[in-house]
Amino acid sequence: MENNDEPLSQAKSLELIEEMIYKAKNSYHESGTSALLWGGIIMFCSAVSLGNIYWRIGWLEEVWLLTILAIIPQIIISIREGRAQKFKAHTDDAMSGIWISFGVAIFLTSYFTNVIKVEGAGSLFLILYGMPTFATGYTHRFTPMIVGGIVCWVCAIISIYTVLQADFVLFFIAAFFAWFLPGLILRRAYLKEKKTNV
Amino acid sequence: MFKELDPILHSQLRLAVMSLLISVKEAEFTFLKEKTGATAGNLSVQIQKLKEAEYIEVQKQFKDNYPQTICKVTSKGVDAFETYVKALQGYIKR
Repeated sequence: MENNDEPLSQAKSLELIEEMIYKAKNSYHESGTSALLWGGIIMFCSAVSLGNIYWRIGWLEEVWLLTILAIIPQIIISIREGRAQKFKAHTDDAMSGIWISFGVAIFLTSYFTNVIKVEGAGSLFLILYGMPTFATGYTHRFTPMIVGGIVCWVCAIISIYTVLQADFVLFFIAAFFAWFLPGLILRRAYLKEKKTNV
Repeated sequence: MFKELDPILHSQLRLAVMSLLISVKEAEFTFLKEKTGATAGNLSVQIQKLKEAEYIEVQKQFKDNYPQTICKVTSKGVDAFETYVKALQGYIKR
């Protein structure tokens, strides 16, 4: 597009505005890496914890520490994606705020439930899982994450009435629908877009 | 016919830049160049005009040892853009 100060017709002006807004909106593509990472880790930890009820291997009880280790790749992913991003969307800061609050809330809830030894704490975590997931899906009008958030809350309700073993199954289901599946969808769309732009 | 329209915005490339910047919080020069398909020189000139009109803020910094230009629409720019769009819609309704 070369600038010229030739008068634009009103139709052409509106067409140009629409075209540019459409281009800007379509430039926003989440890579899905973070969603896949956290979905995968929670699913893995849930599956191992469930298996360990039968295996009874002592050190496997600490499998959830992987969620702390996963912060390292998450930081690397965030830095890399931030560097590659050529623009900042209006919702970016709000989304960062929501997910940082979620991280802090999960950490404090883990600490709280370890100190106080709350029974049925699984429901608390599932309620928390649903909040940022639903908020993200709702903000970006991304249905898989809206559904994922609702699945977390449904699992939270079921968890109130079930035994510990079932909690791990519910964690697995929640992580799959809230993060892993949306992550796969985002990743596929991102790679497709990347291929188109090459 | 278009006497009431803002002359700063009533130009193809400047309008394209403003439309892109309205849609995001801030954008790099390279993003604007890629989306508008304009040449770097031409885009720089038009960005400067928008900056002089105080419709956008331009921030120059370094990213990974490379110079980086970030553009952001100002509240004055948002108002001007809204007025421009309303005026356009007014013409269409006539």
